[in-house]
Amino acid sequence: MRRRVVITGMGAITPLGHNVRETIEAQLQGRNGVGPIESFDASRFPTKFAAQVKNFDLARFIPDCRRWMHSGINSQFAAVAAQEALEHAGLLNDTRVDRNRFGVYLGSGEGIQDFHNLLSWIYQAYRRETRQLDTATFERGALSVFHPERESEQELHTTPAHLAAHFDLRGPNYNCLTACAASSQAVGEATELIRHGDADLMLVGGAHSMIHPFGVTGFNLLTALSTRNDAPEKASRPFDLYRDGFVLGEGAAMLVLEELEHAKRRGADILAEVTGYGSTADAFRVTDSHPDGRGAIACMKAALKDSRLNLSDIGYINAHGTSTKVNDSVETLAIKKVFGEQAYRIPVSSTKSMMGHLIAAAGAIELITCVEVLRRGVLPPTINYEMPDPECDLDYIPRTAREKRVQHALSNSFGFGGQNIALIVSRFSS
Amino acid sequence: MSTPSRRAVITGIGIISPIGLDAASYWHSLREGRSGIRPIQSFDASGLPVRIAGEIPHFNAKDYLEKEQRKSLRVMARTIQLAVAGAQRALDDGQVDKSKLDPTRFGVEFGAGLIATELNDLIEAACVSANCQPGRVDLEKWGEQGIPLIQPLWMLKYLPNMLACHVSILHDARGPNNSITESDVASLLALGEAYRILLRDQADFFLVGGAESKINPLSMVRQCLFEHLSRRNEEPTKACRPFDRWRDGLVLGEGAGVFVVEDLEHARRRGARIYAEIVGFGAAFDPGMRGDGLARAIDAALADAGIGPEEVDHVNAHGLSTPESDAWEARSLHKVFGSCSPPVPVFAAKSYIGNLGAGGGTTELAASVLAMSNNGPVPPTLNYEQADPDCPIEVLSREPRPMTRPHVVKVSFTQMGQCAAVVVRQWS
Repeated sequence: MRRRVVITGMGAITPLGHNVRETIEAQLQGRNGVGPIESFDASRFPTKFAAQVKNFDLARFIPDCRRWMHSGINSQFAAVAAQEALEHAGLLNDTRVDRNRFGVYLGSGEGIQDFHNLLSWIYQAYRRETRQLDTATFERGALSVFHPERESEQELHTTPAHLAAHFDLRGPNYNCLTACAASSQAVGEATELIRHGDADLMLVGGAHSMIHPFGVTGFNLLTALSTRNDAPEKASRPFDLYRDGFVLGEGAAMLVLEELEHAKRRGADILAEVTGYGSTADAFRVTDSHPDGRGAIACMKAALKDSRLNLSDIGYINAHGTSTKVNDSVETLAIKKVFGEQAYRIPVSSTKSMMGHLIAAAGAIELITCVEVLRRGVLPPTINYEMPDPECDLDYIPRTAREKRVQHALSNSFGFGGQNIALIVSRFSS
Repeated sequence: MSTPSRRAVITGIGIISPIGLDAASYWHSLREGRSGIRPIQSFDASGLPVRIAGEIPHFNAKDYLEKEQRKSLRVMARTIQLAVAGAQRALDDGQVDKSKLDPTRFGVEFGAGLIATELNDLIEAACVSANCQPGRVDLEKWGEQGIPLIQPLWMLKYLPNMLACHVSILHDARGPNNSITESDVASLLALGEAYRILLRDQADFFLVGGAESKINPLSMVRQCLFEHLSRRNEEPTKACRPFDRWRDGLVLGEGAGVFVVEDLEHARRRGARIYAEIVGFGAAFDPGMRGDGLARAIDAALADAGIGPEEVDHVNAHGLSTPESDAWEARSLHKVFGSCSPPVPVFAAKSYIGNLGAGGGTTELAASVLAMSNNGPVPPTLNYEQADPDCPIEVLSREPRPMTRPHVVKVSFTQMGQCAAVVVRQWS
């Protein structure tokens, strides 16, 4: 009998709210978090809008926040979501649990580069005569303007290290960055660490913001973003015929995973159980997912096998549903390949229609959405779904939330480069 | 859950390092006591306070790819090219016939770090938008005129998951695929995770390791700003001196260390040569190198392996060569191994190649695995000349030493406190 893993706390900060409750209530009301980019002048970028976290001030959440003084907003989001999740689980200052058995596994993004100083010194070090960059000039210039702590805080291990140090979590500590699948993969692998006995508790999730000049530039160059600048609130429209790309979101989502007996012993409120995890690679192209959904199909099947559930047990799917042409049709195809005729019976929605795409953090907030579906019996809608696409013919819960009691929910996350993760959460029953 | 009958063995080693571009030449250089630390040649580093590194002088990624695969090199930063090359050498070394592998049971896992953009990729865009005022980019000009001057796949060239992605694409590996981005402990965490995945029967065959190069102008600037780097520019081969009393900082290196790790039965079926077996893994966090985190990670790995500290031949150390880090590591090792008699000595591979960052753990471990399979000796740690009273350990130095016990413990950690340990057993 393997060790069972349950969820005993959740926290989030998203374009729809500063905590889980606000985020979920906004989702169920079909609210939209997308608007013009405010953090920098994007007025001449191909895409001028995003789903941003509003009115964020770390000190309002964590009074002594010196640790994050030079951190990117990604790490600051992580701190807020982690604090909420730990508080929710009753573990913020609980000295009775063994902190050596409490680890961290994030799928968290990078910090934010010093865009202005970097480009300024590339320009100043460029020699038109030789058409070469004078690297020694660049080095001296960059050394004089870059801020040491801010540079160091961009490193990928800093986000989980700060959480572990601040909240005293001394167990195994990881960060994986598998693009848009990252935080789902973190949940899955952390589940395995608890199952195996490496830890009794894991703080898991992700944090990311790519709403900065380099981030928008990079995705615009890949033509992955929607450019519906005349109607940003209509831009994220997963599965709709007129979808034209995804909308960048930002934020963080964290969960506390706990070994079942451990949770019972301390009388924790059990929110749901993690019952299935599947991880595969497309091994196809760095730019496109496999056209037959090969990896997506395999990961959903692997998660179902891991959960020992039947196809008919799954009552809701939170889709990766990015609102790009390719993802949404391939994901639909993959769901149909896995679930056969039953696919038409299972409601599927993409909450990216409201929150945008939180990139590395997307999977964790979408898993929290699934847990709330199990708890509330209400399914969040896919907003902006207006014109059916013949290639996308499932029940996408268009525009308004729907009541339905669900025992088991599945969440998909697919990363650029071909990592596919599926997670299944179930209502807890002993 | 682990299936008790399953065992994970190392059957291939791929090394791309400053002292050798495959496992055999790496081993040869270790045996010769040859340092790979030298003045930086690949770009003009004269504007930096640190101008030495473990640079790989003649690395050409084309040598590792089939002709039709080479066009993908354009979207690979050097770090990714090193990973791809290391993976190819691991498959070569393991004499793997890919056509006989089940792609769905073939996993890939890499440790990776932040990859800095090549400055040349942004010159044209910078010239049209950063020419007004020092320290400012005109975002309107950047948006309108700058962005179209950058190559469309620019971002993909630098994503840390692309090491594992490209390797999976080149070798049709459709099993679990992860990229651990945890600084200097990344590749050891990746190895530990792949080991567990094999044991729980979710894959039969893995390419697992890490790769990194920070030897480029932007990464070097960043490292000079926040890392404790050795300033021994005048004597590069003496600069990296783990645990030595006169160590003055770390030295950056570049490279890749990739293992073929597979289930024992799978290895036997294909008649693979077995180097060693992975038998234990542990990880822990220690806030800021003060407490017992590293010792706890080692204890967990020893317990996982079911052995005591006295069954360990030597520790393959992190050995960063900074004053604080080595002292904390030595105290932690003393805590675990201090009561063993005879003492469990320590070897530090960074003294040869510098700090490979996310590629370090597996590249360093390969030295011990090669020693095991060649029946020793364990190479000496370079530049260990004067013992440091702050480092209460016995460092293997000067003389190669035959192996006398069947296990090696490899440790890695970050300076923020993430720690990992892996136990490897000699194959017999």
